[in-house]
Amino acid sequence: MSTITLSSAARARATGRHFVPRLSWLWSGLFGCLVILNIAPLIWGILTSFKGQADLFRFPPAFVSFTPTLENYERVFLSGFGGNLGISLVNALAAVVLALVLGLPAAYAFDRFNFPLRRLLFLAVVASIPLSIGAAALLIPNYVYFASLGLTNTPIVLPMLYAAHQLPMAIWVIKGTIEGIPRELDEAATADGCTTFQILRYVILPLVRPALGAAAILVFVGSWNEFVASSVMVDSPSLRTVQPAIYSFIGFFGREWGPLTASATLAILPILIIFALFGRLMVSGLTKGSVKG
Amino acid sequence: MRPSATAYIYIAPAFALLLFVLFSPVIYGFWFTLFRIEYGAPTDFIGLGNYVRLIEDPTLLPTLSRSGVFTAACVVFTIIIAMALAVWINRLPARTAFIVQMVVIVPWIISAVVATLLFRWVFVNDIGVASYIIQLMGFDAVQPLNNPTGAMVLLVAVSVWKRIGYAVLVLLAGLKSIPDDYDEAARIDGANNWQIFRMITLPLLKTPLLLIAIVLTLSTFNTVETPLVMTGGGPGDATRILAMDVYERAFTNYDLGSATALAIIMFAGNILLVMSYVRLARWQA
Amino acid sequence: MTTIWSRRLRRAGSAGLLILAASLPVSGAMAETIRMWTFLNPAGNAPREKALAEIIAKFEAANPGAKIVVEPQVWDQMTPKFLAASRGGNAPDVIWVITDLLGDAIKSGSMADLRKLFIDKWTKEQVADYAGAYWDQCAINGKQYCLFTSRNYISVIYRADLLKEAGIDPATLTTWDKFTEAAKKLTVKDASGTITRWGFGQGFSEAQADPQMMIPATLAEQGTIFEENGRARFATPAGVAGLKLQTDMITKEGVTPKQAATWTPDDLIEQFSAGRLAMYTGASVRVSSVQAKIGADKVGQMLWPGNGKKPHSPAVMAGWAVGVWSGSKNQELAGRFLDYMTGPEGDSIWVTVGGQAPTLGTTIKSLASYFDKPGNGYMTVTTEGARDFGWLAPIDFGVGGYRQALNKAAQNVVVNGMEPKAALEEAEKEFNRRNNR
Repeated sequence: MSTITLSSAARARATGRHFVPRLSWLWSGLFGCLVILNIAPLIWGILTSFKGQADLFRFPPAFVSFTPTLENYERVFLSGFGGNLGISLVNALAAVVLALVLGLPAAYAFDRFNFPLRRLLFLAVVASIPLSIGAAALLIPNYVYFASLGLTNTPIVLPMLYAAHQLPMAIWVIKGTIEGIPRELDEAATADGCTTFQILRYVILPLVRPALGAAAILVFVGSWNEFVASSVMVDSPSLRTVQPAIYSFIGFFGREWGPLTASATLAILPILIIFALFGRLMVSGLTKGSVKG
Repeated sequence: MRPSATAYIYIAPAFALLLFVLFSPVIYGFWFTLFRIEYGAPTDFIGLGNYVRLIEDPTLLPTLSRSGVFTAACVVFTIIIAMALAVWINRLPARTAFIVQMVVIVPWIISAVVATLLFRWVFVNDIGVASYIIQLMGFDAVQPLNNPTGAMVLLVAVSVWKRIGYAVLVLLAGLKSIPDDYDEAARIDGANNWQIFRMITLPLLKTPLLLIAIVLTLSTFNTVETPLVMTGGGPGDATRILAMDVYERAFTNYDLGSATALAIIMFAGNILLVMSYVRLARWQA
Repeated sequence: MTTIWSRRLRRAGSAGLLILAASLPVSGAMAETIRMWTFLNPAGNAPREKALAEIIAKFEAANPGAKIVVEPQVWDQMTPKFLAASRGGNAPDVIWVITDLLGDAIKSGSMADLRKLFIDKWTKEQVADYAGAYWDQCAINGKQYCLFTSRNYISVIYRADLLKEAGIDPATLTTWDKFTEAAKKLTVKDASGTITRWGFGQGFSEAQADPQMMIPATLAEQGTIFEENGRARFATPAGVAGLKLQTDMITKEGVTPKQAATWTPDDLIEQFSAGRLAMYTGASVRVSSVQAKIGADKVGQMLWPGNGKKPHSPAVMAGWAVGVWSGSKNQELAGRFLDYMTGPEGDSIWVTVGGQAPTLGTTIKSLASYFDKPGNGYMTVTTEGARDFGWLAPIDFGVGGYRQALNKAAQNVVVNGMEPKAALEEAEKEFNRRNNR
């Protein structure tokens, strides 16, 4: 039911207009610049990934006049990148699940219940955003902390870290959507004898799915692109993720643009696919989350 | 809202994870800074010695103010440009809007190191594509990294470029949720576009704006990869920001005492920043 | 869409449970498993990676039951992480340590004495084979903490074909004047007066700073750039002259572009590969990858010019010191592997498969014909240089950040118009303050 309402609303929005400042040449110009700025490095990176050593640094730059080769991709896969992609995928999905499973009840409680310290605890959630963004600065103490707990080089350490890093954001987004769900629904359910958990399960959960989708994408992208913890907290090649693998081509012996761009190209494909599939869902999910938050 | 103690059961798992993974290491990190650190290991207890040494460093204040200017410039430009883009995308037909949205997020989804390296190669490097085209057009290639102001401007530019996609996504979501009848009603009352934007759209975007302001401020203030790859802090100290200072103390000088102390100070600053944003926006949880 | 999502979530959920179930540490070492941290990934197909894989395969074949597990690390985080892991009790058995942090690693007690493990069993000839500055670097109070497996010699890399074309023999560039003249000759302008190729590329970026020409120039005069207590000794007359020499290449002689102030070692290689530089300040360990880009016979390495008293100035040397973790439960086997990897067989594999310069005297003799091949001459040059004209930073005190401080001084001269003496005084102050001296 909710899906139908949402998509018709989305259609209405797409055709509707707000406050149209008639300066479309300005927007088009701005967008033209942005396309060049955004796409040019991407295209150049993809082109580079098909170049052999000799074509990398020609001046004038080689746009099309080079012999395409797959040697960079071959090298990337030989070094175990397929496995790295798999590990990153499993880690990021595990982080998504963990963040949603922990985030949804927390968001529900923050929105629907009144309890001592509620405001303070929510501020603590917001305040933990910097702890996750700035965590790189505490690399060594962090490593010592997790090593002393015997968690380094285990399969759970990265999903756990990723989930914790993204959890505050997930709670924020989900809570906003729950706010948009009329409280009358809860009250009716309570009158029917539902427990708070049953309300969460049968009333809130079905309605909050777009927000879960949006949160899932944010958690996935954040986890997929995480570099610092990924490179320090695990050692075994069987636990190695994508970002340190990409970074290994900017190694001690210099930047190797061929394999570097090939691995980076492969690494953005999953994200692009996820965006193509769920991009719209994300916008509708964030909507409620951020506006009424 | 009903009063309930069950609520604690719902938030407990999330808080357990945050405490275990985010808060405890910071507390451990703070404890770590109270000791003299030799070869990566705490030795004698020296109280706030590491902090005193930091504060006595005459480069700290200039670096701090440089970080402030850098962060403020990035956040302001990102939000203004992202707002303009989001407003424009919001008016496009659904399919076009989706394509444009994909284009806009590209730099955001590429890892920071690779994105910055590519940006530098294509647009800045004098054997890059942009430089070649400028020369083809008969101009002298510019070398913006060669002067302090140019380097800072370029660093701001690349940081804005990297994060604009995220801001557009969040703002776009906010715009989409504003019912059309708000605009129509205002238009009937004779409001012009700017007035509608100013009086209706902007207030309704308060929360997404707050969210992106917080995330952008923190991620810009704490960024290491971008300045490290783009300028290495130079020329001179022109682009050396606080986060890079932490990195250099830890990995160039291997002085974990002052590096961790500086990181702890930055955490405190970050939390203050978040709180003051929340305060400023008079935002209710 | 809803169903897709719930299905996806369900599937992801079971993946998460699997991970939780499998949450056992993977490092539970078997008796005969040796863990090694390096930045090389033996699964890869870069020359050095192939060399490492071959060394491991041969060692495992010769030692049934032994297994060498390489855990590739991000190179610049590897040594700090090792020191932290050593305290935490989960460091690897064999560790590659970067020269800048070697002193810290040894003094922290994280590295085992290799004499007890295997060197005591060596013949005198074997010990003599290793002799030199690199050996001494690891020898403290009668103990030997490491052996160098990769040696780096930072001097001038040049385009052999362009120098030949200009009639310049790199061996004759024994004074700074001759060198400057050669660089001028190699600088090329097009019809409109724009310089299309610079004679000498330098890079003063603080990101991955390589030692630039002022350091050899200063070392030639005063032998070191540190006081005995570890304080910087940059702003001396020799230092000031060296920095002036280095920056004059841009401001006075016009053989180095101003962009040098922002260039990194990687930028230099890219400019050189694009044919925009005839010579540049660079590291011997990267020559083979430059040769792969533009042709082996086109790239050579020469020694730094001298100060008039000696034909050449000392170049800064560095490398990777390999040791055994003092907390390892498998020190004996780890030692045996290290012995093999740096010994005659390992060394010749590093040279022939990995394209790396030799570290042993016997390798130089046994592979004599290999070094005569076009493009391999640089290995002989740098090996000789390492013997007579090389300088390793002291390990009695930390020197982290000295190259960055000196590069910043050069930036300040070129970009901000500072006097060399003032720039070096500032660099000295900052280095001392940062290192708590």
